[in-house]
Amino acid sequence: MTDLSQTPPLEQSYMPSRKLIDSLLTNAALIIICIVAMIPVATTVLISFKREEDVTRKPPVIFPCDTATSSFDITACRWSIEGYERVILPTRSAESAFGIVLRGRMLNTYLPNTIIYATSTALFVVLLASMAGYAFSRYRFPGRDALMIAILAITGIPLLTNLLALYQMGITVRKLPLPVYSDRFFIVTVYIGFFLPLSVWIAKGFFDAIPLELEEAAKIDGCSPIGALTRIIMPLAIPGMMAVFLLTFVSVWNEFIAGYLLISKNELKPVMFGMYDFLGQNIINAQLIAAACVIIALPMVLVFLVSRRSFFQAMVEGAIKG
Amino acid sequence: MEQPATAPPQVGALVGSEPYSRRRVDFLPFLLILPTVIVLLAIQVYPAFYTVVLSFKERKPAGWEFVGLRNFQKLLNSSAFWESAGHTIIFLVGFVGLTLILGFFIALLLNRKTKLSGLYITVLFIPWILADIIVGVVFRLLVLPDYGLFSAFLQSPSFLAPNGLSVLTTDALPPWFGNFPFPPSPALVYLILASSWRALPFVTLLLLAALQTISTEVLESSRIDGANTLQTITHITIPLILPTMVVALFSLTLSGMNGVGMVFSLTRGGPGTSTEVLSYLLYSIGWVRLDFGRAAALAMIIAAVNLLLISSTLRVTRTQKAGA
Repeated sequence: MTDLSQTPPLEQSYMPSRKLIDSLLTNAALIIICIVAMIPVATTVLISFKREEDVTRKPPVIFPCDTATSSFDITACRWSIEGYERVILPTRSAESAFGIVLRGRMLNTYLPNTIIYATSTALFVVLLASMAGYAFSRYRFPGRDALMIAILAITGIPLLTNLLALYQMGITVRKLPLPVYSDRFFIVTVYIGFFLPLSVWIAKGFFDAIPLELEEAAKIDGCSPIGALTRIIMPLAIPGMMAVFLLTFVSVWNEFIAGYLLISKNELKPVMFGMYDFLGQNIINAQLIAAACVIIALPMVLVFLVSRRSFFQAMVEGAIKG
Repeated sequence: MEQPATAPPQVGALVGSEPYSRRRVDFLPFLLILPTVIVLLAIQVYPAFYTVVLSFKERKPAGWEFVGLRNFQKLLNSSAFWESAGHTIIFLVGFVGLTLILGFFIALLLNRKTKLSGLYITVLFIPWILADIIVGVVFRLLVLPDYGLFSAFLQSPSFLAPNGLSVLTTDALPPWFGNFPFPPSPALVYLILASSWRALPFVTLLLLAALQTISTEVLESSRIDGANTLQTITHITIPLILPTMVVALFSLTLSGMNGVGMVFSLTRGGPGTSTEVLSYLLYSIGWVRLDFGRAAALAMIIAAVNLLLISSTLRVTRTQKAGA
């Protein structure tokens, strides 16, 4: 705000122009909105760095920086990483390469599970969605329109109402004499099935945006069909596929109810279940809960900040279709 | 990277050549779509039909037994269903209304392109990337009894909780609702706030995209004709983006109906059953009371509402496209 107030050169106008006042007010309003919107996040980060005795104070303090004499003394701040340590539970170990092992379930059970589920779901969704999206975008075949409408209609089936049937299916599949089976396969399949329909439409949109003439020109120049696909189409499609990958990855990372209900063993459940479980066990230790929140949410926030263009593109693409 | 092995396109079948009916049918597109179709049939279509079957059955010691419409009958006769339907309606009205109004306001501000617009959009978007479970936990930490930073403010007798207890534990009603027919509990109001906070970025971006399609000439000509800012908004802007607002309204209603994570982490349906919305009731009938038949009947009702909302959205988008 301050730098904007310096911008009008004095000799140009004695009275600030209407446009400048407008822009100042707009910026001021947006900055206030941003600050208010960030209060819950900022509070959680602050809590995660407090000590137990500062978290359980009445009345609560915003900054743990008060002393007996002053209400805010920056030199007396009692920040601590106790919350993080108790979530991660590091213990010294001579065998480990890092000198410590992490025993917190959040970090050695739930988080790896979620990474496995999110990565494999996103990879399969990208593969299947780009195959189907390419076919819908480049070919005309009988039943094409009906299939596309059907896939769009399927996006309307909520995961919530399908859970009962999927739960029963899970029980049946577990009893089948399959050579290899784990709830991991089942939950990844469910996630693929749930996030695929919208991704097919997004992928089709991205392929539609690649001009057909490029492909034809490549062929005229003597490129084989596979060559045209790998050399011309794939490089152009990569940003779109990246968007589908990221959107699916974040959706699986953030998914709770299916992971909670469809996986029977606790050690196979994803990180959002871990958070829910953790909440039940640590009712008073707000600094632990806050630290767990930061640990789980930070990777997604970073992914978003680095690749927000992809997200907005996929989101607008998805919102227009869905 | 994954594609080349599976997708060698054949020149003749590509768009731009002659129509497919005159040539031999090419199997390649079907092969490309087949895996998607199989997965969707197994994970989406089959379970949807299975739920229909389940809603007519009841689990007896001997096995599943066909009971006709008894599940629906029991569900519709239970006070829990109507109570939670009431909670859902209040939640949806509050959540959709609040989010749309705030989203429109913020989108209008963002549309006055300032140098920092990109930064504002990025900051405002952070809530959207957070999981509903996390948002629930974060909002819970804010109002923990005694220790939460906002407990004192929200507990004040004139605001949300007349008896001075935390919004998470009190079942007394906010005083300013007066003789409202289904007064929401303080916790339900708080759930609306938390849900709106998370959904706001999505609506803002949707409305901002619509606002950016309005040509500046239209707005300028209205200003030349003497309309003030408010008149321009009500007479030009809102009518022009109305279709997008309707789409936002329906998609918010859908996500509000089907989202359940925040109830789990913020209130678990409590205090009492005051934040038990239909989606949470589905969980509680199905997995707490283990009555899958009745839960399936409830799932059918929720799915029917979904279907209604989606078909209305499609109708709006279609007329929008026809009008454009």
